[in-house]
Parts: sequence; structure tokens; C-alpha cells
Amino acid sequence: MPALTDITNKIRESAKKLLASGQAEVVIGYRQGTIPMTTSPFFARTADECDLLVWSNFARINLANYLPGRAGKVAMVAKGCDARSAIGQVTENQILKDNLYIIGVPCTGMIDTNLVVAKEARPIREVVETADDSITVKGQGFSTDIKKDEVLRRNCKTCVNRTPKLANELVGQEVNGAAADDFADIKALLAKTPAERMGYFKDLIKDCLRCYACRNACPLCYCPVCFVDETRPQWLGKSTDPMDTMTFHLLRGLHCAGRCTSCGACETACPVNIKVREFNRVMELTVQNNWNYEPGLSWDQKPPLTMFQTDDAADFIK
Amino acid sequence: MSEYIVKENALVDFFKSLASGRRLLTPQGLGDKCKLEETPPDKVNLDFSNTHMSPKSLLFPQTEALMAFHNDASKPQAFVYQSLGDKGEPLAVFGIRPCDAKGLSIANKVFQNDRFTDNYWKGKIDQAVLVGLACDNPSPQCFCAAMGGSPFGEAGLDVLAFRQGKDLGLKPLTPKGEELVKASGAQTANLADAIKGLEAEAVKSQGVPPDYKGIDNADLMALFNDPHWLATAENCLNCGVCTFFCPTCHCFDIQDETSEKGGVRMRNWDTCMSWLFTVHGTGHNPRPSKTERVRQRFMHKLKYIPLKQDGVRGCTGCGRCVAMCPVNIDIRSVALKMTQTAASQA
Ligand code: SF4
Ligand code: SF4
Ligand code: SF4
Ligand code: SF4
Repeated sequence: MPALTDITNKIRESAKKLLASGQAEVVIGYRQGTIPMTTSPFFARTADECDLLVWSNFARINLANYLPGRAGKVAMVAKGCDARSAIGQVTENQILKDNLYIIGVPCTGMIDTNLVVAKEARPIREVVETADDSITVKGQGFSTDIKKDEVLRRNCKTCVNRTPKLANELVGQEVNGAAADDFADIKALLAKTPAERMGYFKDLIKDCLRCYACRNACPLCYCPVCFVDETRPQWLGKSTDPMDTMTFHLLRGLHCAGRCTSCGACETACPVNIKVREFNRVMELTVQNNWNYEPGLSWDQKPPLTMFQTDDAADFIK
Repeated sequence: MSEYIVKENALVDFFKSLASGRRLLTPQGLGDKCKLEETPPDKVNLDFSNTHMSPKSLLFPQTEALMAFHNDASKPQAFVYQSLGDKGEPLAVFGIRPCDAKGLSIANKVFQNDRFTDNYWKGKIDQAVLVGLACDNPSPQCFCAAMGGSPFGEAGLDVLAFRQGKDLGLKPLTPKGEELVKASGAQTANLADAIKGLEAEAVKSQGVPPDYKGIDNADLMALFNDPHWLATAENCLNCGVCTFFCPTCHCFDIQDETSEKGGVRMRNWDTCMSWLFTVHGTGHNPRPSKTERVRQRFMHKLKYIPLKQDGVRGCTGCGRCVAMCPVNIDIRSVALKMTQTAASQA
């Protein structure tokens, strides 16, 4: 049986059990999308609805995004990165650990549809996901096989924690991720002059519409009112002024420092394909270098930017 | 008005005539880079599916400075807002798709109607001549026919162009369009039957269109109060991508920004998906949760606009929101739910 079908069946089975036993009032998973290469976050509350849950190469949105502030018992389907986000939310007191059940899916990576379109530009009307290491896209008069390795999202290529080991249960065989994310690209970027770096980031966001889909898709961005939406005082202009846009991205990067699990939801959501994670990656590396900290790897770790230690390496704080 | 034809070898001359005395804009670039750009007459591309974003920003830019003032008291008119003008210029836009032209015609009734005229919009649209290119091979995401349009739709266009083998057929639709076509030296031809044939084939490729007529006849409050909105909105991120990409979404926010030298009043795209869109000065928000916001978007598109615009739906079926929504909220599925509500009320 193809791995995806096997996982789909196990998710449905688990979801039904959780609902029947009262361990969860709702199971947040994915259903098939209405157009090729999409899935849609789906809230299953009945056994029939559980049969709509699927696993796919396109389960890219991070469902931890729907957890903060949720009352009652909830189960979520989670890839490695998504489970880390959910655990991070527990450590940030956004949801009670006892109310959360993680159905962990050992993940072999999600597909970047832009890379698929780069390989097959003709309009795609159907995608077949029965093979484990490739997909087949079909359209008028063509059927093209594409190796999954060649079209993985960039965050999936460097993902170390593909198996959500802290999940309440695992559906599917454990998988190994990359040995380590060496941040080679970010190190090279940081070696440049400030002016070059500014140039890089200005160019990166030049098409940004400030729709805030990246923020809204991010499980870290749960503030009741984001600073960009504050009106008294209004911190940020509403036009397409490049400085306002840059301010949004820089502040969001800082707010997410030490919390981003590289789930890639922001980049998946961005309608103009901006590599939003570049900002976050710089901050991840900085936090790792300073505090040797990675988020979402234990239930009781404390995010470094929320705590104070007398033996802190920085002088200014003592 | 009859139809006209431009032979393959006369295409460059045709585009030269479009560009004479005006800027010629056509879709350039592939995929998410496809947008309307100034194009030399010999670089027009007929092989595109559609621009990534809708053409509305031509007439209604995401940010538009409307007025400005200076604060130098030694000069006249200090601290008094002066209009910056409409920034209209003579434009020929070639390659607008029928869904998008129809979208502009819907927004046009918002910006110009019997109650008021928005001069910033009017100044631009009056100087533009819009030449559409019919879709002989609609994309998988298209559903214009289901929304009462057609891949050969004419609403909002001055001229409808269509491929006739390797030649380009032209059907002028307004006096402005007729003048443009005549000046281009295109040959008259009787192509009415050809259009009918091509159109039927293109419509067929979209499958049997679902029937949403129930919504038109349904009681507004029944649609509004249906409990499905809770589930329909549950996975929405309220990001507003759908509204930014939609050719008919036209809501804006007016903002004043000041500097040391003065200030500017500008108009920016806004989105009903945002919490901020409806929050009052008191802090009260009449659309407090995403359920009300999502309901607003679909009720506006499928019920309120048809009520105000003689039955024309506020969705033209361009498919952008379907393709771009990060969580795949599909207006066709929502329209179906609304149709079911209507049926259960009947
Ligand atoms: S910043 Fe992006 S990659 Fe990081 S957690 Fe948020 S959505 Fe995921
Ligand atoms: S999703 Fe993309 S376009 Fe929207 S605000 Fe984020 S980076 Fe900008
Ligand atoms: S419907 Fe989709 S695109 Fe629109 S606000 Fe909701 S999540 Fe964003
Ligand atoms: S609602 Fe969606 S499909 Fe309809 S016109 Fe707007 S963007 Fe296009």
C-alpha cells in the first residue's frame, strides 16, 4: 500500500477513536483540496467527517496555527515541524498540554508547487500521489512524472526533525531527516557588509503586498492585535512604502526569534512567493549561536527571549 | 459594428497602431511574474493564461496619493490639501481576459454611478482603451461561465480580440474601440459565426456549469443567518489574499501621512477579511470574528452586488482566489452551500 494511503487510513482510524472516547472534541487535519496540489485544513467532529481526512504531499499549512486560545480537547495532525510549533505553544501558555493530542506523521517532505510548475508549465488538471518518491501531474495530452526530491520545499530539504517524536502517537514509519541544517546560506549572507545585506532584503521583499498571509499562516503570530494593526498609536503606515514593508518584516522576524520551527507555512501562504523565512533563519541562527536553543524539542524548555539567567553571556543584562 | 481581422504578418503593425500616441500595456512574464507591462509592438505575447494579479491596479492602485499639502507658512496655500490629479494617461491595454474586464466593469459602477464620480478612477479609465483577448483554452481554475460570463465575454471591453488560427479577429464593442480598430487598418470580416463556434468550444472545456440561480432568488436574511458560515469560515486565515487578487474587490482605506514638509492623503487597498476593517473608534467591532468577515465577503460577491447591479454577480470566475487561498477556501463550494440554503428555504 502506498505510504500516503497507509497514513491516511491510520489518521482516520485514530481520529475516530479519539472522538469516540472523548479524548478529543475535534480533530484538526487536512482534507483534499478542490484543485490539484492543494489540501485544506479541516475540522472533523464526527466519524463521517473523519473519513474526509487525508495525508498528502501538499499538507503544507501548519495546523498548530489553529490552536492558540482554543478551549476544550483538541487533536491535531502534525508533521515534525508542526508538532514542534504546537509544543512551543504549550511552553508559551497558548494551549494546555492536557487538552492537546498530537497525531504525529513522520514526514517525508512537502512539495513546493512552484517547483512543480517550473518543471511542467502546462496547465495541471490532476495530480496522482500513489508512488512514494514521485508524483504524476496530468493535463490536456500530457502526463509527467516528477521526482519528489527535486520539488521539495526548501525548508523540508534541510529539516532535521521530520519525525515528531514527542507526539502522542505516530502514524507511519519513523523517517530520518537531514543530518543537520548547516545554515550555509545564512552564514554567507551574514558575512556580507550591512549595505549588501540591506540590499538583499530590500530585493527579497520588493513584491510584498503586505497582505500579511505569512503572519496569519504562522503559528507564532497569535498576538490578539499585531503591531501593524495597532491604531492608537499607529506604528506603521498602510501604503506600499518600502520602509513600512521592511519594518513589518524586520519586526516580525524579531518577534519570532527563537520560536520558528521552519514549517514553511509563511512561504506556502505568500501569494507572491517571497522567501519570508530568510528573516526567521537569520534569527534562528543567532539564537542557536547565543543560547544553543532550538524550539519545540521538549515540553518544558523556556524560550530564551522570555527568560533571565544570572549567568547570561551578555554583559548589558547583569 | 462588423468584425475585423488582422493577418498574422500584420500583427506588429496592428500593435504599432495601438501604441501610437499611447502607452501599450500587455501581459508579460510567466506564472507568478506575469503582469501588464509596457510592451514594444513586436514583443506582444499571445500565449499567456492570465496575469498573476488582476488588472484593477491600473485604475485603482494599491496605494494612490490623492492630495497633498505643504506646511511652509511663507508660501501660499500652506496646510491646505490640493488634489494631485488623477494621473490618467492615454493607454492601450491589450490582453485583458474577459473575466477581468467584467470585474473592472463591476468596480466601475462603484466608482462612477448616479450618486457620485470618483475622479481618480474616471481620469484613468476615460483615457484607457481596453482590448480583451478571449480565452480559447481556459485554465483549470477558470469558471467564468458558472458566474454568468464567458471566455468570450464582452463586458467592460472596448474591443474583444480572439485568435482565428494564426490571425487575430477583432470585435469592436464601443465607439472608442471601433475608432481604434479602424485606425489600425484591420480588414473588415464577417466573423460572427466563427466567434460563436470558438466560444461554444471554450465554454464546453469548463464542463457543465453549476447552477447558482437559487442564490439570486433566495431570501437575503435566510442566506445571512444560515449556520454553515461557522464551518465555512473555520479554516480561514483572514489573510485577505482573496480580496487583494480579486478583480472586483474595491474597498479602500484613506490615510493621512505627514512629514517635516507637509502631508499627503492616500488611498490604500483594504480588505474585509481584516479585523481592522470594521473596528469602530469606540473599540466596538460589528464583525468581531472571522465568521462574520468570511460571510461578508461571500454575501457581498454573491448576493449584495447582484442586488445592486441588476443581477450581475460580484464574482466573475477568474479563479484567482481559489488558486491563491492558502487554505483552499473555494468560492464555488461556498456558492454551492448558499444554493443549498436557498433550496432548503424554498
Ligand atoms: S515564521 Fe514561517 S517557518 Fe517559522 S514558524 Fe512561522 S510560518 Fe513556520
Ligand atoms: S504573505 Fe508575502 S506578500 Fe503577504 S505580507 Fe507576507 S511576504 Fe508580503
Ligand atoms: S478565504 Fe483564504 S485567501 Fe481569503 S482571507 Fe481566508 S484564508 Fe485568506
Ligand atoms: S471572487 Fe475569486 S474567482 Fe471571483 S472574481 Fe474574485 S478572485 Fe476571481
